[in-house]
Amino acid sequence: MVFSYILRRLGQSIVVLFIIIVITFSLPYFQTHGILAPAYAALGSRSSIYNVHVWAAQHGLTSPYFVRLVRYVDQLVFHFNLGYSYKEGLSVVQIIGLYVPRTVWLALSALILTTLIAIPLGIFQASRRNTIADYAATGTAFVLYAMPAFLLCLLAIDAFGFHFPHLPISPPSGVAPWAIFTDPKSFILPVGCLTLLSVASLSRFMRGTVLEVLVQDYVRTARAKGCGSQRVLWRHAFRNALGPIVTILGLAIPGLFGGALIIEYVFNYEGLGLQTYNAALNIDVPVVLGITILVAIFTLIGNLAADVALGLIDPRIRIEGSSK
Amino acid sequence: MSIVADNRGLVGQEETPPVPMWRQRLKIFMANKLAIASCVYVIVLALACYLVPHIHPTNQTNQALAFGTPENAAPSGSHWFGTDSNGFDELGRIFFAGEYSLTLGFLAGFITIFVGTLYGMISGFLGGVVDAVMMRMIDAFLSIPYIFLLISLITIFGRSTAFLILVIGLTGWWGNARIIRGDALLIRHLDYANASTSMGASKWHVIRRHVFPNSISNIVTVATFSVADAILFLSALGFLGLGIQTPQTDWGTMLQAGTEQLQNGFWWEVFPVAIVFILVVVAINYIGDALRDAFEVRLLER
Repeated sequence: MVFSYILRRLGQSIVVLFIIIVITFSLPYFQTHGILAPAYAALGSRSSIYNVHVWAAQHGLTSPYFVRLVRYVDQLVFHFNLGYSYKEGLSVVQIIGLYVPRTVWLALSALILTTLIAIPLGIFQASRRNTIADYAATGTAFVLYAMPAFLLCLLAIDAFGFHFPHLPISPPSGVAPWAIFTDPKSFILPVGCLTLLSVASLSRFMRGTVLEVLVQDYVRTARAKGCGSQRVLWRHAFRNALGPIVTILGLAIPGLFGGALIIEYVFNYEGLGLQTYNAALNIDVPVVLGITILVAIFTLIGNLAADVALGLIDPRIRIEGSSK
Repeated sequence: MSIVADNRGLVGQEETPPVPMWRQRLKIFMANKLAIASCVYVIVLALACYLVPHIHPTNQTNQALAFGTPENAAPSGSHWFGTDSNGFDELGRIFFAGEYSLTLGFLAGFITIFVGTLYGMISGFLGGVVDAVMMRMIDAFLSIPYIFLLISLITIFGRSTAFLILVIGLTGWWGNARIIRGDALLIRHLDYANASTSMGASKWHVIRRHVFPNSISNIVTVATFSVADAILFLSALGFLGLGIQTPQTDWGTMLQAGTEQLQNGFWWEVFPVAIVFILVVVAINYIGDALRDAFEVRLLER
């Protein structure tokens, strides 16, 4: 039953993927120079019409819309070819191969740290509701949540790079994917900032979820039958709060690949986020499309995984359709 | 439909009139001192941002070079919070920027909640194939890199204030639609909605009289968070240089310009505006939390 559900969702996902491709593919057509916009972006806004048309013809922009779309999908599906970047002399697959590991190591280490900190913190806050510790943690979380990401990063750089100069202010440049292991010290600031920012929202969410669980009847029953408060918290409350966490973590998976643009931008860390930003500014359509497809696939997988995991964790949730 | 109305009237006449729900909720909200302080702060700041630049105008358009105002001057009697690298008065600029940040944040936030509610209600209520299609559309929108969508739309439509509001508003409602849809889906299957349907109420009637009023608490809460998020998001855009264009400015652009001077020790260009900004986002989020507590049925005196 679960299998047919997964299959059906995968089928839907392919349709969604196609819609995403069409939207992303069509967006440049609405820009100032229409489909010639990438040519103007690559050659400069004042280049001659002749040069622009030669460039456009070389990059296959002059064919009609549907011909280009069909060609793109054909190349993607049957040759796994995402095309070549307009700006850099690399294929899109190469670019993704270069930057995905860097982004994943950065985001994954931050995500693991976040989960390890935020979940116990949220539970702790919920169990000590309205104590000084809870107020302090909630207040800090509120301020961190309200702080623009770039401000936190820049203040951290200013503090630890200049006033107390103990930490390198930027990860090594270049594209070595293993940099986080060879030079971990230089990753303390970016990973730390990213973790702080996500802990702020996740711990707040966690606190709310556990609080909601703690007022349920089954927790009262557990207390009434004489469970210790630790046992109530971990065996009853935590287990029932797992559902929303799984959903949130499932939604965080695409973020691993999409990259944290602001963090990458501030720390000048060449990752997928920065790559998307530059490609979007330069209307480098193949790169944007390639990254979009990658992120979309992981978004869809993340949603699906979260839904299936929810069904496994919480027996009350019947996966829709399997009860028929 | 008249039968339903009559019945409700009868029930109301038999019992002693209870304390209206909204008054109980207002009481819970008013008991939260911090929430009241947050409301006061947001209102006072908004009034200041809309009035001060007009009542007590400071020069925010002509640069220091032409007008001989001091650049990067430390706080003094004539410039309470100092001046920035262009010689603009910082205090005046906080209000000047706030006008745009707050307008954009509130309007964009309201657009996200309006569109999100409409979409979520329809999707959650109709259910079935329509729901599946509408939700898969949301999946698709969520998967497109936000920054690419935004940059494309900005290059297409320009960066005027009105278009920034529309762009942030119309690209930010996907999460809201999901939340509201979940609510609608839940309420649609509750007993009172079923009862109404069994008595011949139309779908539109059930949405209007049952689903919408009962999810209003969630909508209001989500709306507050949307406004805070829109203000935050605008600041990120300002940092990336995609925000409001000069001579207008917003807090994000101001913060970005200020942080460039941080290395020189010109703290007054960062911290006053940062504190005002962070406090307003904290306040709006806190109001949202307090509203959620006030709407929480379990806290009501029954």
